[in-house]
Amino acid sequence: MKDLIECIAKALVDEPEAVRVNEIEGAQTSVIELAVAKDDIGKIIGKQGRTARAIRTILSAASTKIKKRSVLEILE
Amino acid sequence: MEYEFEGKTTEEALENASRELALQPEELNFDILEPGSAGIFGLVGGKKAKIKVTLEKPEETNNENGIQLAREALEKILELIPVETTVNAEQTDGKIALSIEGDKSGLLIGRRGKTLDALQYIVNKIVNKALDKKTYVVVDSENYRKRREESLTQLALKMGDKAKKIKKPVSTNLMNPHDRRIVHLTLQEDIDLDTKSRGDGLLKKVVIIPKK
Repeated sequence: MKDLIECIAKALVDEPEAVRVNEIEGAQTSVIELAVAKDDIGKIIGKQGRTARAIRTILSAASTKIKKRSVLEILE
Repeated sequence: MEYEFEGKTTEEALENASRELALQPEELNFDILEPGSAGIFGLVGGKKAKIKVTLEKPEETNNENGIQLAREALEKILELIPVETTVNAEQTDGKIALSIEGDKSGLLIGRRGKTLDALQYIVNKIVNKALDKKTYVVVDSENYRKRREESLTQLALKMGDKAKKIKKPVSTNLMNPHDRRIVHLTLQEDIDLDTKSRGDGLLKKVVIIPKK
């Protein structure tokens, strides 16, 4: 799950080396924290949160596959 | 896009260029970098002629890149989900069409194509970030887009009939721009009906209004 988010995030930002992903696994729900360079936050969120929503949709499809739930937190 | 070609003479360099780029010599836009010289008796000290060819429309190469890029981006995401699928890529009238094969569960389509749209959006972002030229990528799985288009056309026609029958406007559910477009286009031909989008943001309703 972590690799998935990292891969997508790195492809979208200008500074891929600044992408940090942290996964906090719970019994049913995992929280995935994503941090990017300050100037790249907008690229991850997108116009009216469209990019963030698309990433969350893909994440939830991936979680469904392993019968879990995942939440994506974008850290500022 | 610029290429350099060499030959014994400028003419020969130009011939090489036209062969390599599969274009007629007349079509090429070139500058002579070095005119070349035959040297003594054409044997010693001969210098090759060098030309620089500038292609104004590097579309072919660019789109080849685009297809490759789009396909790799999608394959990588799918691999990490992870799902066992293959991606077919082709180019149709200015668009890059990617089609995912092997997902029988509909996991990648999602409710009303939600997941498919998300994948498409992300792949578009990735491709357009890497390329200068605006490129449009369509992601499909199990022929979903075609099926969706057919069912939306049916829905539009049915709602159009209803609007005419009750002589009152009828509105659809909230739809994304692509779906709305299909509804508008389907009813465009019908001179008794008018269609308008209503709402804010990405998702809007289409209102089908019977003309008096």
